[in-house]
Amino acid sequence: MAHSLRISYSACHGCVNCIKSCPTEALRVIDGSITIIKDLCVDCGECMRACDRKALGLDDDDWDLIRAHGMVEALPDPTFFAQFGSFWLPDLAKKALGSWGVDLLIDEMETAFDLSAYASSRIIKNLSQEQLPLISVYCPAVVRLIQLQFPELLSRLLPIENPLDIAAELWRKRTKSYAPVTLFTPCPAKITLIRDPLGREPSALQHAVSLRKVVHTLMASGVKVTASQEARLRHMWRFAAWSMRGGESKHVSCFAGRDITVLAVSGLRNTIDLLQQVELGRLKGVDFVECRTCDLGCVGGVAVPESRFLLNVRNRNIDIDWTLTPQKEEELAALYAVEKTWKMRDAIPSKQRVPLSNDLSEAMSRMKQMKAIFAELPHIDCGACGRPSCMAMSEDIVREQGEITDCIFKLREGIVSLANQIVSLADLQPHTIKKKR
Amino acid sequence: MAEAIYIEHSVVADDYLAAGAASNNIKETLKMLGITSSICRRAAIITYEAEMNLVIHGGGGKITANISEGSVEIKTIDHGPGIPDVELAIKEGYTTAGDRAREMGFGAGMGLPNIKRNADEFVIESEVGKGTTLRTVIRF
Repeated sequence: MAHSLRISYSACHGCVNCIKSCPTEALRVIDGSITIIKDLCVDCGECMRACDRKALGLDDDDWDLIRAHGMVEALPDPTFFAQFGSFWLPDLAKKALGSWGVDLLIDEMETAFDLSAYASSRIIKNLSQEQLPLISVYCPAVVRLIQLQFPELLSRLLPIENPLDIAAELWRKRTKSYAPVTLFTPCPAKITLIRDPLGREPSALQHAVSLRKVVHTLMASGVKVTASQEARLRHMWRFAAWSMRGGESKHVSCFAGRDITVLAVSGLRNTIDLLQQVELGRLKGVDFVECRTCDLGCVGGVAVPESRFLLNVRNRNIDIDWTLTPQKEEELAALYAVEKTWKMRDAIPSKQRVPLSNDLSEAMSRMKQMKAIFAELPHIDCGACGRPSCMAMSEDIVREQGEITDCIFKLREGIVSLANQIVSLADLQPHTIKKKR
Repeated sequence: MAEAIYIEHSVVADDYLAAGAASNNIKETLKMLGITSSICRRAAIITYEAEMNLVIHGGGGKITANISEGSVEIKTIDHGPGIPDVELAIKEGYTTAGDRAREMGFGAGMGLPNIKRNADEFVIESEVGKGTTLRTVIRF
């Protein structure tokens, strides 16, 4: 499984800030630096936020190298347009970036995001109350979190492709071009969407460059960012709203043509809480659930240069027309009729944690051992053993990936008992020496 | 035959915030043992609903899970007011939950029916003024 985090071993001091932040306990500190348990990582980027030393970075593609190959066909993440002081109308951005050697595929993006919302609304309408709510697949970290921790909810994922993939596919179909498509990504999860896609193979995109890198080079290049009103009339740019929490939900409910109940949450903790409630069957009456692991939605991504709070305000101020005009509906219905333009190709398999043993009886006896080890530990989850919690430590020990003396408190106990032994040995004297009185 | 694994949680009356802890623990334990995810989910739902019953009606109590090689047995014991008509209580939509519980989105009268639906064995015994015991089993 490919991952989108880069570890700088020279910057890593082996502190335990990152391992505590990981929602799936995928990090350990071994031999003084971070190790990622690849099967458990969902690329949410929380560890990058937690690292003060910038030892964890985004493992994106080389922007200079991509640009060296001539015109870049690019899908700007919806968070891109508000990075420059005010909302940059996508068609003006496209015009300006043409001279910079970058072609923004905004028309395809517009169609793809509209199609995704349209398909979602159709699918939801055709399901009964027991089969709802369905869950958005837009945030790749959420999809992986479900795969790993909520496998029973895989059947609740909307069976549609990520609109970014749909957009690249539409562009390829229109131009018949084999040129690679590059995503300006706000987060590691969307890099993994390209490198290790779920539900399709391979991704319709080829490269991903961090939004921060692109915005910085663009600002340094002298390309003029201009705001103007003229283009506003022709297009709706509904996809811009997807950069904020609730944007997708709004899009889907506006296209549904009847009242549907949607729930949108952002942030890792809210996402996990919400998924837990869906799993327990507590969200009766809700039709659609949108989860984003980053605070405020994609604007809170780790590779976003501008303040997420400002971006949220700017995006909220865009005047978006949500009405689905008859012409647009006809166009989308025609695309919707051809399932392969939007439908998720393969079912996403569950990826559960490896059990303590494949044999239940053996697993149970290891569980007993694990509980016994846990009972001996200090339960303060200090992280000094390099693991996120005492429970994770006891699990690692029964999986033969650690020693009880990795725990600094147990080590100290060992030293104390050894020291006591030495003292009592020192008290023993041969008969030839006179005893101290 | 391995020795059974026993989990016990105390549930405090009206503690809506802590509710869900027992459910999560039992689910994670079953997962680690390699039990199929659909069974883990059923166990989580039973535990959660039973836990909520203790919070809302039972005046708190004890919830236990006993995992053996062929099944998991989930039990609750409380010394609350008891259920006058058990037949009625396991009907969908029947509820005696107070306003507080309903304001928080609980007490829709789905708890016991939901438990029954997810369990392979379901026994409830209750005596007014003495309390209620619930015993459910899910077979692997």
